[in-house]
Amino acid sequence: MIDPELELHPQAIIANSRKREAKFNFVKSVLLDIFFVFYSLIILDRAIYYKFILNLRYIPFSWNNIFILLIISIIAGYLWTYSRTSLSAKLFGISRDDKVTKYTVEIFGWFLFNITFIAGWIVTRISIVDLFSSEGIQGAERIFSSLFQPEFGIFDDALFAMIETIYIALLATLISIPITLILSFFTARNLMKENKFSFAVYTILRIILNFIRSIEPLIWAIIFSVWVGIGPFAGMIALLVHTIASNAKLYSEAIENIESGPVEAISATGANKVQVVWYAVVPQIVLPFLSFTIYRWDINVRMATIIGLVGGGGIGTMLMQYQGLARWHEVGLLILMIAFVVWVMDYISARIREAIY
Amino acid sequence: MLLEIEKLHKIYNNGTHALKGVSFKVEEGEFLVIIGLSGSGKSTLLRSINRLIEPTSGKVKFFGKDITHIKGEELRKAKSRIGMVFQQFNLIKRRSVLTNVITGKLGSLGTFESVFERFDEDTMKEAYLNLERVGITEKASLRADTLSGGQQQRVAIARSLMQNPKLLLADEPVASLDPATSNSVMQYFEKINKELGTTVICNLHFLSLVRRYASRVIALKAGEIIYEGMPSDINETWFKTIYGDEAEEVEIR
Repeated sequence: MIDPELELHPQAIIANSRKREAKFNFVKSVLLDIFFVFYSLIILDRAIYYKFILNLRYIPFSWNNIFILLIISIIAGYLWTYSRTSLSAKLFGISRDDKVTKYTVEIFGWFLFNITFIAGWIVTRISIVDLFSSEGIQGAERIFSSLFQPEFGIFDDALFAMIETIYIALLATLISIPITLILSFFTARNLMKENKFSFAVYTILRIILNFIRSIEPLIWAIIFSVWVGIGPFAGMIALLVHTIASNAKLYSEAIENIESGPVEAISATGANKVQVVWYAVVPQIVLPFLSFTIYRWDINVRMATIIGLVGGGGIGTMLMQYQGLARWHEVGLLILMIAFVVWVMDYISARIREAIY
Repeated sequence: MLLEIEKLHKIYNNGTHALKGVSFKVEEGEFLVIIGLSGSGKSTLLRSINRLIEPTSGKVKFFGKDITHIKGEELRKAKSRIGMVFQQFNLIKRRSVLTNVITGKLGSLGTFESVFERFDEDTMKEAYLNLERVGITEKASLRADTLSGGQQQRVAIARSLMQNPKLLLADEPVASLDPATSNSVMQYFEKINKELGTTVICNLHFLSLVRRYASRVIALKAGEIIYEGMPSDINETWFKTIYGDEAEEVEIR
């Protein structure tokens, strides 16, 4: 839209947008400072005070406590940004340029890093004693000696399971291609930003795909093994869903990274949207698409063994059964076969991708 | 009047004020050259004419019709009557020269026939005719990226000729070519201007080329027109005003 006053004061518009940006940065900086202070207070309170100083096994929890800490952080965070000496003020480029800011940022940065490390240590319950206890080492010896003497009696069954796994991965990859191809054009920012409707479609699709992608194939396999029953089909659909979501992202990024010159040239001829995509976009993305797809097949073979563990069929399911029976010699053979196939797939896919480029 | 530009402003999202109220007129058959330093707004001006860039305010009139805010089908029709040639040629690298030339006609081809690349005989004939005009018929079946820079730019000219353009925009068409090739490419623009009567607006850097080919010159500095007149009238003083006191003229022949 055209601003009627623009012809009079174009400079004023620029100045205004700068002012708006500065205000926006201030708000962002306050929010981040509140978060930093709140985060530090929580760790100091929960981990350091209760765990180290009082040495309690179970930490008492009350919302009142959290609420008080939050109020303190809101006040402190606001004041801190207001003084222009905080870490976030520095990050958003609105800090004072003096020694006080420099030292505050340095000291607080180290402080954040250290308390995060300490909190992590406590949460993961790191125990050097468990790692080197004589009981533990005996267990490790037992399992390793079995794994290194694989039982070849189940080789036939294992081979069939392995083939099943490879086909699960292959089919998931193949079926994903046409679906991903169509989706990728609708999730490429440079093609969809032009009007509000297409941008809305872009945003909604991106959110859905991000959501699907953030759920691991392992979880999808659990869902589909309830939906369609345990077996290779459940595994295949689980892989398919995740492949579509992750490849759509890679494909659409390839579309976003194309040279803009040909797009400009073709649209300057008066070509319509479909023609611009077909002539200026498609020729530039064929190779990256092919390469991503082959790489994905390789990833899917590895994934297929994992989702077998939760009932997705193939060699993973077999591995799970023998592990449940604690038959470590059989488990040893299965691990050996998986390692071999993964290595071969990795090698083949790398060579094909090299040959394409 | 072929083209009228009125008080054109462009402010980019990052706050750069690239055009500050540019106004000028172009008559049919002119060979107008725009000169100025890099960043003076030459490219922005050309791209605002065929709406590759949306101007912030002002007007662009093409054959007396305001095309500054038209959309959709109407915009595509206007675009198809204005050809454009770029500094980086912007050909489709992995396709044949012939296909590249035909893409100039996409504006008047149906979506279906262009996606399946079933072009009729007239289109093919036209493509060969335009390749002949720029003298590279024998390269028609080669991949575009196997050609040299000068040849690629000639293919780009042939592509723009497929539009039967009333106006041909050229954004520094010879800036990435060597001096000898530059001159030969410029000669094709001259030929199109003289023989087909196509109006040409061209951004150029070298004054020797400007003097030789332009019928009129506009100089831009920091988004404003600071000179408008005959190429022969650009003397030492004007040259220093346009390019800064440090500048010295470089000859290319």
